[in-house]
This record gives sequence, structure tokens and C-alpha cells, in this order.
Amino acid sequence: MRRFTGRVTDVRRLTADIFSVWLKEPVLARAVQPGQFVNVLVGDGITFLLRRPISVADVSGDRLRLVFRVVGRGTAGLSQVRPGAQLDLLGPLGRPVRVGTSQDVLVCGGGVGAAPLLFLSRRLVRNNRLVVVLGARSKADLILVREFRALGVKGYLATDDGSLGWQGTAAELAEQVAREMNRPVVYACGPKALLADLVRRLPRHKLWGFVEERLGCGTGICHCCALPKQDGGYLRLCQEGPVVLLNKVRL
Amino acid sequence: MNFAVTIGKTVFPNPVLAAAGTFGFGLNFPRVANAIGGVVTKAITLEPRPGNPPPRIYEFPGGIINSVGLENPGLVRFQTELLPRLQRLKSRLIVNIAASSVAEFGRLAEELSSARVDGFEVNVSCPNIAEAGVVFGQSPALVEKVTRTVRHKTAKTVIVKLTANFVDPVETAQAAAAAGADAVTLINTVFGLALDKLGRPFLGGRTGGVSGPAIKPLALFCVDRVAAAVKIPIIGCGGIMNGQDALDFISAGASLVQVGTASLRNPEAPLVVWQELKGLCRKNGFTSWAAVLGRTRRSS
Repeated sequence: MRRFTGRVTDVRRLTADIFSVWLKEPVLARAVQPGQFVNVLVGDGITFLLRRPISVADVSGDRLRLVFRVVGRGTAGLSQVRPGAQLDLLGPLGRPVRVGTSQDVLVCGGGVGAAPLLFLSRRLVRNNRLVVVLGARSKADLILVREFRALGVKGYLATDDGSLGWQGTAAELAEQVAREMNRPVVYACGPKALLADLVRRLPRHKLWGFVEERLGCGTGICHCCALPKQDGGYLRLCQEGPVVLLNKVRL
Repeated sequence: MNFAVTIGKTVFPNPVLAAAGTFGFGLNFPRVANAIGGVVTKAITLEPRPGNPPPRIYEFPGGIINSVGLENPGLVRFQTELLPRLQRLKSRLIVNIAASSVAEFGRLAEELSSARVDGFEVNVSCPNIAEAGVVFGQSPALVEKVTRTVRHKTAKTVIVKLTANFVDPVETAQAAAAAGADAVTLINTVFGLALDKLGRPFLGGRTGGVSGPAIKPLALFCVDRVAAAVKIPIIGCGGIMNGQDALDFISAGASLVQVGTASLRNPEAPLVVWQELKGLCRKNGFTSWAAVLGRTRRSS
């Protein structure tokens, strides 16, 4: 983990409230692994004292891509950056996903949850049988579909309103897709309700979830990002996560 | 200029410390730890504490409110797992100890008095434990009792971390000094409450401790006030984000300062504060801390 200055090279609005920012930072781009995040400075220290943790959605050469949803004034400010701007970043943070080989793997993303799964899928696709399920409220809320398509793997789309793909939630669709596969390992990212639903629907699968919680430092020193464990106590999401086995935690 | 400051038996190479609870146990950033005056560990209690349910942190313009709840692995695991690793640090190490009874404070000091640590910061001011923690700090009589007990159990440096919540810190600082404390830290976080949009408490621990730039004026007020009333050194803490903030505390009467919340924003903050403070000393032509220490009072 180090402090970096990334130069913004591209800013794009993907949906009404989801933005994509490409940053040039060669050392960070090479160091970061799927599952990890960066902690981005968004203010002068008074208005926004804390950084904003954002998972890495993709890496290309010396650039990395952050895809995030605007949830408050901090992320709203971040969505206003322009190409050429410098962002102060801490990273890579969190534990990388250990990408296995020769497995059936299902990735399931809901809404902005598709973002970190793209980076992971790029690694998974090399040595595994990968299937992708993406869901969102409606067609306009689905993101990164083109990038996932370019991976050349089997993929399914779900929308709550049926405006594109299968009508229903990503979890419902993932359950059906998993049945057609050979007991796949599942990587899921999305709202806690989606993760909890997957735990109910796929109880016997190895189910990894990208979990969100309020972070303080992101570097392990403040103990604020507590996630309750099934067997009592808490884990520090920024140290033992953000990707955790969902049956070991209480969402 | 010689930047070293001596408190009790401990010589701190410079006056900037990392504050308890905002630098873990000092192991995450050894380069920072070794370059600053010293590290105060996250609080240790006799028994392990899981801490409060999430969310544990709330941000507002000017600061944060935390309700971590003294999550820590307890004395035994601290001794067996963390201390051996901490010995590898070159920095001065102060162990923050918290307890819910006078006897427990004594036990912690006794058990750790032979450890290779430089001293203790007696935490009588954490607002995040429902038990006696903060109550100690609100009562001069209890502060005196706790301090005396710890003093009897250890020859190491004893610092008492005081609160500004519902008590005049002059009274508690005098009590700590009378009981043999080598220094007092002023101030711990102040009580705070954050609500969600439905009017419910936002934090899992219901209430929390406010820190950051928002509490700097109060902390500075307390340091200035206590410095006029007690002879033992003061360690200033509360919203220090840069070298100028640190210099303000020293001017108001703090011999050392602690950087806390700023480390959540940038883990190198204590080092940055120290470098900036050093720069300010050069720029102002200070030749010793004596020229700066308490100059606020001398000027008014």
C-alpha cells in the first residue's frame, strides 16, 4: 500500500448515477489485484475528512478504472472530476481474490456491483469455465455489458422490470444458471439484499461476496469497518475483505 | 535545535506522537512509527472486546464520530502476539490501557510493567464503553484513585488521558498530578450523536466520540486552561491536521502533541505534521521548545 497521484484520463457517465473514471498511475495499475480497492481523497479535509473507498473495475496497461455510484456529496464531487485532474489515492487496499484454475465459476453482479467483477472476470476467464450474470433495475441501469461481452464468455442479463434480458433479480437468475453448471464457485457483488438472497438460494456453493461497509481509514488502523462474523466478533473488512465467504459473516 | 522532549523516564525524540485508536498498534506503518516521537497503541483491556456493531463511523463537516467500542484482543493476546512484533519498532511505545474498575487498571499496569514498553496512557476517558470508562474521567476522585493504583504498579512513564466531557479538566488533571502521573493527555473525543433520516441513531453503538478539526478549539482551550493550573507536562490532542495546529497546541502549553483523526485520512499524517512543525520552528527561528511552550499565556 502506498499513496499515489493518479491523473484522470477519461470520465464517463454510465447511468443516471454511476460514473466511470480512468486514471493513469503505472505502479498502482500494475500492483492492484482483483478484489482490491483504492481509497480516494475527495475533499480538503474539512468538508470531507475521510477518503472514499472504490473498488477497481478494470486495469489496462498503466491505467486503472474506477466505477462508482454517487451515493452522497463525496462521490458526487468525485463524479465532477475532469480529464487532467490529479486524484490522491491510497492503494492497493484489501485482500486480493485468489483466482483458482479449472473451475466452474459464476460471477453475479447487481447494479454497480458489476464493476469489480469485470476486473476479476478478466483473470478468471483465462483458466476457468466462467459464466456471468448481471442484473439491474432496468435496461438503463445495466453497466459494463459491452466489456463483459468482449470477454467472450456465456452471459445472462436480468432486469427487475424486464426491459432487457430475463425479468427478475440477478440472484434469481444466478440460482437457475448455477443449476446448469458443475457446482460453480460464485463471486457476487451488489446490494446486501442481493448477497443475502444468494446465500439463501445457493447454500451449498462456495459463495464469495464483495461486501460494503462504512470505512474509516481503509488501511487497518481504525477498526471502523466491522463486519459481524457468524461465530461471533467482527472482521475488519478492509483487512480480511472486502471479498469474504458469505456463509462466514452476518450481512 | 534539539527537538527531544522528556516525560517521566521517557525521552521522545520529537514531540509528535500517533494518538491511540488511530494508528492501530503501530505495526501497519513502521516507517512512520519510527520517524515520529512515539506511538500510543490502540487501547488494551484485560479481556478481549469485540467492539460495537457497525456502523462505527460517521462523517460530518469538520470531523468524524466513532463508536469502535475499544475493540481489542485483550491483554494475553497483546502480550503473546503483538508485543513481540512491536519490539521491532524503534519508536517510543506507550500502551493505552482501558478498564472498568480500578483493580483492572492496576492489573494491566502490573502485567505490562516488565514488558519492553516505554509507558502507559491510562484511558479514563473513552466515551464508547457503557461501563465505567468515561465515568472515571468525570470524577477527580476516581482519576486520582486510578492514577495512584497504576503509579504503584509500575515505574514506567504514566500518562493519564483526560476527557472534557462534563468535567473541568483542571480538577481531573490536578488529581492525576497529585497521584503521581508524569503527564496528562488533553483531550479524548467528546460525546456526539448522529442520526439517520428517520431520526434513529446512526451509529451501531448509538452514541460516539467526536474528533477532528471540529474539536480543536475546545482541546486548545483545555490545554491552555490546564497548563495554567498544573505543573506536569501536557500532551495536546484534538483535531491536529498539520504543523501549524501542532504549534498552536505547544504555544498553548502542550509539551507533546498527538495526531489522531488525520491518520485516517492519510496514514503518514503524524510524520507530515512533524515535518511541518520542524519547518515552522526553523522558519520562526526557535532555538528551544522553551521559547514556544506556553507562549500564549505569556503574551496575554
